[in-house]
Amino acid sequence: MTSLSHPGESCALLGSLVERIDVGIFAVDRTGTVALWNRFMAVHSGKSSSEMLGQNLFAMFPELPRPWLEKKLESVFVLGNNAFTLWELRPYLFRFPHNRPITGGLDTMRQNVTFLPLRTPGGEVSLVCGTVFDYTETALAQHSLHDAIAALNKEKDAQAQLIVKLEAAQNQLLQSEKMASIGQLAAGVAHEINNPIGFVNSNLQTLKKYCEQMLQLISTYEPTEAQITDSGLLSRISNLKQALDIEFLQEDLPALIKESEEGLVRIKKIVEDLKDFSHVNESEWQYADINAGLDSTLNVVWNEVKYKATVDKHYGELPAIECLAAQLNQVFMNLIVNAVQALDESKGMGTITLSTGHQDEWVWVEVRDNGRGMSDETRRRVFEPFFTTKPVGKGTGLGMSVSYNIVQKHHGRIELTTAPDEGSCFRVWVPVKQAQAAAP
Amino acid sequence: MTMEFISDDQRDALQEVANIGMGQAGASIARVLGEFVELSVPRISTVDAAGIPAALAALAGDGVASAVRQAFIGELRGEAIAIFSEHSAHDLAELLAYGDALDAPAGCELLLDIGNVLVGACLGGIAGLLRTEIGFSAPSLLADQVATSDLIQAETIAARCALLVEVRFGLEKRVFRCHLVMLMPEDALAALRRALDRFIEEF
Ligand SMILES: Nc1ncnc2c1ncn2[C@@H]1O[C@H](COP(=O)(O)OP(=O)(O)OP(=O)(O)O)[C@@H](O)[C@H]1O
Ligand SMILES: [Mg+2]
Repeated sequence: MTSLSHPGESCALLGSLVERIDVGIFAVDRTGTVALWNRFMAVHSGKSSSEMLGQNLFAMFPELPRPWLEKKLESVFVLGNNAFTLWELRPYLFRFPHNRPITGGLDTMRQNVTFLPLRTPGGEVSLVCGTVFDYTETALAQHSLHDAIAALNKEKDAQAQLIVKLEAAQNQLLQSEKMASIGQLAAGVAHEINNPIGFVNSNLQTLKKYCEQMLQLISTYEPTEAQITDSGLLSRISNLKQALDIEFLQEDLPALIKESEEGLVRIKKIVEDLKDFSHVNESEWQYADINAGLDSTLNVVWNEVKYKATVDKHYGELPAIECLAAQLNQVFMNLIVNAVQALDESKGMGTITLSTGHQDEWVWVEVRDNGRGMSDETRRRVFEPFFTTKPVGKGTGLGMSVSYNIVQKHHGRIELTTAPDEGSCFRVWVPVKQAQAAAP
Repeated sequence: MTMEFISDDQRDALQEVANIGMGQAGASIARVLGEFVELSVPRISTVDAAGIPAALAALAGDGVASAVRQAFIGELRGEAIAIFSEHSAHDLAELLAYGDALDAPAGCELLLDIGNVLVGACLGGIAGLLRTEIGFSAPSLLADQVATSDLIQAETIAARCALLVEVRFGLEKRVFRCHLVMLMPEDALAALRRALDRFIEEF
């Protein structure tokens, strides 16, 4: 750096520094009269120093916030300390055009202004000097940073939503995998049972015939008893008859066989239902009879139902509807099991009412119980995954959320009415044909 | 609390300097604001870093508060923190010629302005009495309407311990209440001790 030999020289240098520095510098006295106006101020305001010097700052810049700025200047005069304005809070003091007329950005130069007290040799503050720093670039950088952060946050929110969806999808997958394996198991068992049922049934038919023949033989023999003269033999026969209670045996034998036949018919029906319910090989859309689906589902869960509720059925006549039958059956099962679990056992047998009906292009299935009903909170949250009011191990809280998704997939809806201590009623609506419902 | 940083003489001198300085400050603040200012007798204490948040909370009392920080630089250096309880600073908007509608940035600017005036007047007064120059950084917002216990986080404090000079401000007939705290780190205290010794010699 050049050493300054002469005070006058250094003054001139300082003057030229103030003039040329890339910072706005101006000074006012206590009345607001301008005493200094450097080139930065002149260039940006369009008012030269010869225009400004000796003029009142507020008269020359009527747009300045006068009372506030006067107060601020006053505090510097009185306290002799710096005062500040920051662009983040007050974008600018002087309305200077921005410095990117071509490439754009902000309309007005962003400014940080520091007000400095200038003292006379006596120590009094005679002038307040304002230094105006251009913060437009910083402001632009900060704006783009803000934008970037906002964009990132938006993305983050979108991802969070995706994660929620993913979780729901995973839950559904879990549940449907469970159902699929239950279905496969059921189908497997049904198949295995079919074989023994087959031979038990044919053996029973043969047995029935043999019995009839034996009984025929006995009844043919019976009248000949009178001709037996050997009294020892006669008494042996009558003792034996008495001991065996032959009359009852003759009556009971056909009845037993008939009952066994009925039992076999029921087993066959259950096996059929199991197969129907699982629809193992049919994951495709098909036309299915909803009433039949409801019945086969009821049979599958009959064990859960029979000791706790009587079932009233009011089935309407329904067209075959286009659906994923196994999945709809899963919905019915969830509804029936929930209905049974909602019953208050202390009030004896409950009633579960299954109704179906048909309206325009829609079919509905209703499962009503006279159980405990739901609280407001439960009603709001039934379809939420993992929401359950049941003890650990009893409920996973997935039943209704999965059902909701299945019905959604059918472009249908679930209506719910419920009142505490009166019971609940779920009505599932599904369209008869999918293409129509899917269209807007 | 023991004063391990400064001797008893130095402490007395500091108390005296603070008393006179605040008196002067009160007068000049009153000139700026145009209203009479009530100032408490300054209280001087030392705290370790972990104790600073609690000390500030104790000053500000329960509820929420805002705080403005400002560094002072020179022979004496440290940080001053002005703590405003609730929205009481808004009470001063008219005195500093802010418009009626205070939006969020304006409310914030008002806090900075008041902080700047109070810190400048008080610390400037003390520095003047100790015949040393100090300058101030631009003020910045430390906390905006937070629980008083959260005004400052202990982890963010770099100093091991600090000298704390506390003054309470109020304006007659106004709800405005403010606490001013001057914190000086341990390693900046040598300069303060020198300045206090100079002061003692001169009187
Ligand atoms: N018919 C009903 N009556 C009263 N509350 C019901 C009824 N159906 C469902 N709820 C309530 O909704 C909750 C959620 O039902 P959901 O079927 O989704 O789960 P869950 O039955 O608890 O468990 P999961 O079905 O997975 O074994 C139940 O815990 C119960 O509180
Ligand atoms: Mg359930």
